[in-house]
Amino acid sequence: MQVTVADPRPRIVVAPDGTGRVAGVRCQACAEPVAYPWPACPECGGPVVAAEFGPDGVVWSATVVRIPVADRTPPYALAYVDLDDGPRVLAHLDDVAPAVGARVRLRTDTPDPHVEVIG
Amino acid sequence: MSDVAVHGVGTSHFGRAPGTDLVTLAWNAVSEALADAGPEPVDAVWVGTVFAPAGVAQRVLRAMGITRVPVVTVENACASGTTAFAEACEAVRTGRYGRVLALGVEQMSTAFDGAITPEDTDPEGATGLALPALYAMAATRYLHEGAVTPAQLAAVSVKNHAHALHNPRAQYSGRYTVDEVLASRMIADPLTLLQCCPTSDGAAAAVIGPATGGPREVGVRGVALRSGAPWGRRSPHVWGYDIVAETAADALAAAGLHAATDVDVVEVHDAFTIGEIVTTEALGLVAPGEGGKAAETGVTALGGAHPVNPSGGLLSRGHPLGATGLAQLAEIVWQLRGEAGGRQVEGARIGLVETMGGGVSALDGNACVVAVLEAP
Repeated sequence: MQVTVADPRPRIVVAPDGTGRVAGVRCQACAEPVAYPWPACPECGGPVVAAEFGPDGVVWSATVVRIPVADRTPPYALAYVDLDDGPRVLAHLDDVAPAVGARVRLRTDTPDPHVEVIG
Repeated sequence: MSDVAVHGVGTSHFGRAPGTDLVTLAWNAVSEALADAGPEPVDAVWVGTVFAPAGVAQRVLRAMGITRVPVVTVENACASGTTAFAEACEAVRTGRYGRVLALGVEQMSTAFDGAITPEDTDPEGATGLALPALYAMAATRYLHEGAVTPAQLAAVSVKNHAHALHNPRAQYSGRYTVDEVLASRMIADPLTLLQCCPTSDGAAAAVIGPATGGPREVGVRGVALRSGAPWGRRSPHVWGYDIVAETAADALAAAGLHAATDVDVVEVHDAFTIGEIVTTEALGLVAPGEGGKAAETGVTALGGAHPVNPSGGLLSRGHPLGATGLAQLAEIVWQLRGEAGGRQVEGARIGLVETMGGGVSALDGNACVVAVLEAP
């Protein structure tokens, strides 16, 4: 039997200006930004409201995965990206991993969160 | 003076054993632990396992005649075995049970073809992050901050593989050079194959009871267990640092110690080389940014000021997830009794075990256990 599970990845939406946003929530008590539509704040348990983050951010760290993982073909680059005034999200990168601290922008055309270097 | 003591420990051999069933792995550990502790029956059992099928605890225990007692299975990722230990200690300390068996058992070789990935119900797993890549993120960040060098990362692997030469239960051992470690196949930049723990099967067990002052009893001075906080830009630290630091502070306070530097021998969670470096810093064994240098200069080697992972650690002994914490505990018990043979830390009186399990997205680890033990 094929069971369909909910996609756990951050949901990327396209803003009116055409750029990507992560559709999550923000805590009304402690302002924690959250990349997922969770029912309460993971930091303090406070109430949350829907919020969008991005499109730009900074690479906190990155790696290139050189082994097969599930049905993905290595090598591929991943980064943790701190979205500006937003949460830290795991995203794919084009080609090689950029340096820590690089400015990146969310793409809107991939099912995975995906960023490209800007500037 | 401790109220609770480890009365006996045992482990299986560690390695890939897809043809060996879990009953045999568990029996190898439990029979040794019971022989070590004395043959009296146990009043309850806590079992730590991660990937074993439902019912595994009762399935292995019935085969050795341990039935009709409370059996509780716990899962806390890599810290499942030490979580079973922590709960067993607390059950004895509070008087709920008199003599408790803690067992960790895991067969990874039949569950994974390669690296572990977080559940695909988690964003990290669904996005293609394997566990080596999660640790690689910490290593990249440390390199960027100038807190470690590639040679220092490799030095952890060199050290732990050399330690394992004296551990007949270890899956791997060897005399490697830093260059050989760095030249092994890249898994997730900057971590190479020899900087990653292997796929392992194994079991480990301990019998816990009240402290009676027996000549082979290893006292439990303090145990702490925590889950991780949300991990993100609020913390200046890499993944897994804060949960270890906070759990260690709890355990050291419970043990009445001022600092981890009061400890003579340590077994830490070195699933990847960067893990040992971050952990020695988070424990306070070495100063922040000094973990890599400590490995490179022999401070954390056998014979150094603060020996870390004399067993060979997860990198060499192997890492059957649910069994790992109790295998670490068994090593510290042997060390504190002076029974560790060629890897003995001379005169070790106080030992520490640290296990950190993770993989749930957005958390700084699923669970961490730190235990402080003292010689008979």
